[in-house]
Amino acid sequence: MKILVVDDEDIVLESCQAVLELAGFEVLLVPSADKALEAMKGNEFSLLLVDVKMPKRDGMYLMRKVKEQWPDIPILVMSGYYTTETIKEAIKMGAATFIAKPFEPDELVETIHQIIKREEHHGKKEGPRN
Amino acid sequence: MLYSTRSKLIASFLGVSLLVGAVSLFIGGQLLYKAVFSEATNRIRLDLNAAREIYLTRINSVKVSLNITTLGDEFRLELKRYDAPKLVNRLRRMAQHAELDFAGIVTGEGKTLCRIGTNPVPIEESQPVNPIANLALKRGVPVSGTVVLSREFLSAENPDLANRARIQLVPTRRAAPREAKEEASGMALAAAIPVLDGDDLLGVLYGGILLNRSTTMVDRVRDTVFQQEIYKGRSIGTATIFFNDLRISTNVLTPDGNRAIGTRVSREVKEQVLTEGKMWTDRAFVVSDWYITAYEPLVDIFGERVGMLYVGVLEAKYADMRGKALTVLVLIIMAGMALAIGLGYLLADKIMSPVRRLIKASQRVSEGNLSPQIGPISKDEIGVLQNTFKDMIVSLEERDKRRREESENRLLQSEKQASIGRLAAGVAHEINNPLTGILTFTRLLLRRRDIEDKSRSYLQKIAESTVRVRKIVKGLLDFSRQTELDREPTELNRLVGSTISLMENQALVRGVGIAFEPGENLPVVTLDRGQFQGVLINIIINALDATETGGNITVSTGISLSASDTGRKGVEISIADTGCGIPPEDLDKLFDPFFTTKEVGEGTGLGLAVSYGIVQRHGGTIRVQSEVGRGSAFTIWLPVEELSERRKNTGC
Ligand SMILES: Nc1ncnc2c1ncn2[C@@H]1O[C@H](COP(=O)(O)OP(=O)(O)O)[C@@H](O)[C@H]1O
Ligand SMILES: [Mg+2]
Repeated sequence: MKILVVDDEDIVLESCQAVLELAGFEVLLVPSADKALEAMKGNEFSLLLVDVKMPKRDGMYLMRKVKEQWPDIPILVMSGYYTTETIKEAIKMGAATFIAKPFEPDELVETIHQIIKREEHHGKKEGPRN
Repeated sequence: MLYSTRSKLIASFLGVSLLVGAVSLFIGGQLLYKAVFSEATNRIRLDLNAAREIYLTRINSVKVSLNITTLGDEFRLELKRYDAPKLVNRLRRMAQHAELDFAGIVTGEGKTLCRIGTNPVPIEESQPVNPIANLALKRGVPVSGTVVLSREFLSAENPDLANRARIQLVPTRRAAPREAKEEASGMALAAAIPVLDGDDLLGVLYGGILLNRSTTMVDRVRDTVFQQEIYKGRSIGTATIFFNDLRISTNVLTPDGNRAIGTRVSREVKEQVLTEGKMWTDRAFVVSDWYITAYEPLVDIFGERVGMLYVGVLEAKYADMRGKALTVLVLIIMAGMALAIGLGYLLADKIMSPVRRLIKASQRVSEGNLSPQIGPISKDEIGVLQNTFKDMIVSLEERDKRRREESENRLLQSEKQASIGRLAAGVAHEINNPLTGILTFTRLLLRRRDIEDKSRSYLQKIAESTVRVRKIVKGLLDFSRQTELDREPTELNRLVGSTISLMENQALVRGVGIAFEPGENLPVVTLDRGQFQGVLINIIINALDATETGGNITVSTGISLSASDTGRKGVEISIADTGCGIPPEDLDKLFDPFFTTKEVGEGTGLGLAVSYGIVQRHGGTIRVQSEVGRGSAFTIWLPVEELSERRKNTGC
């Protein structure tokens, strides 16, 4: 399973990479929304882990673009600064859920597992129809 | 407005003086009239006595003159001889001397011997004998007094007398009706003296004065009794002799200035005096004027009431006296009224000037000047008002100051919150990313087995510190969050109840009892459930932290009026504990961000600051009561909007 991690800070990217690879995921790291969209075109991802606050194009913009072209890919939103509003907005735009930085490694892995499990359940149901 | 107070005061003064004046005028007038009237009637009674005395004296003088004549020896001789011509001469001299109108002699046999009239002798048989002479003859003693002489007798005495006696009756208002057109009889003062020679009766000498049209006696009464007093060109005193009810001798004048002979007395007087024989003293209408009068009956020699004696004074004099007195009274009252106006004006000024200053002062106060001049303090009730006003201003000032302080506090609090919020927002973002690195790699390192114990414990410390930083940053974020409230109508008891359930486990672990006492009939409140629950949890956790094992926490709800917001309706949630309490010097700082008494790592000092912000954004307040060693009570007050209350009422 391949996960795309989008964050403007290297330390966050590296942290995620360390945790997720240890948990057995394949990881691609990009520093911006534009890079993320580029990466999306050549790869197939099981999940996107997106930071909300980034310079230039932010996480919300990215989510909108992704939902337009790849509506089935689940997105996990993370942020170090958030309000109830931002969380609500993210969920409304199609984010699977939200995780606050800094998180415990186990917390992140657990959250991703839950999302994927839910998606699979979903997919099975939808599968026969396609 | 001031002028109206003044005019009210003056009007009431005027009213009082007018009332008193009117009453005293009325009573004074009445009393005065009574006094004057009774004085006048008393006087007139005395005057009547004097008049009677004069009348009797005159009778007596007639009698005396006759008596003197009878005592002369020559007279006796002439009488014995029936020497009529000589006797007539003698009688004529006597009559002239004594101003008699008639005189004569009757013989012992009852025949008139001679008279002083126009045909003194010889006397025809048919001519009647004068009645008074007859009486003296019959009784044999001297007789004197009033006597009525009919026309017959008068013409016998002297036809001139009969003519003089004839009086035309003048129609008079208020007199008793009388058929005759004229009075032919006369009334006279007369005396008759029997002349004795031993036991023999030689004859009777008689003589008298005809009162009809005589003026001497009434004028003498007027001149002696009333001393010719003149009032407005008229003699004030009058006297009259009545024959029956007819004025035969009087100095009462008719409007054209003649003596009122021929007019008659009023019926009431006639009835009382002539018919009943009583005296009359009262005011009476005499001919054409009001007089204060006295009448008494005249009784003739036979004991019959034949006429009246009258004196009277013009009432006008007394009425004018009364009028003058009343005028003086009216002047006094008017002076009193003028005084009342002046006094009222001055008094109103004196009373109103401090009041006016107070009014000006209160205008100043309403314009916002809280230290206005109110002038010197009076020593009366106005002074009390002034002092009360001063106190009021002082307390207004205090309240103003308190309010200002309160709002300054609130402003300070929210400014603090805002600046900390901005800081927190920036910091949170910058810190949370590196924290993610620290936490992640520390945890990953800790998973390795090849790490020696010492390093492991170091790593452990890094992880704990990071978690602590995370907690602080989260607190800062919570504090800075100025998010819009997501309000929903909420049943407060349910929200509080569910929050307490969340906390029950923790309480149990710490051995602290937690009880809920829900108030009844609470109105529905609209609030942000999530944020409000955060507030409750915060305060309950604080209470748990402060309470030793075995202590208690009591949460209660109820309806209450706001303490600060002038009686606005609201609900209250109170969280009371039996914990350590808060020292007074800390009470002020409780809601400051970062104020904590808890150990480093335990408390952030943000819980109450955040709670305060949330409650404030709901329009509510948090109040703290605490006593060191006994416990604390945090009371949250929330306003209730009328609308939600009404909705609830109609829903029931
Ligand atoms: N129920 C209570 N009893 C005693 N002290 C209290 C109570 N509630 C709050 N405090 C005091 O107020 C301080 C500030 O509380 P708070 O703002 O919640 O921060 P923290 O709980 O992190 O210390 C606490 O440290 C404590 O000293
Ligand atoms: Mg606290």
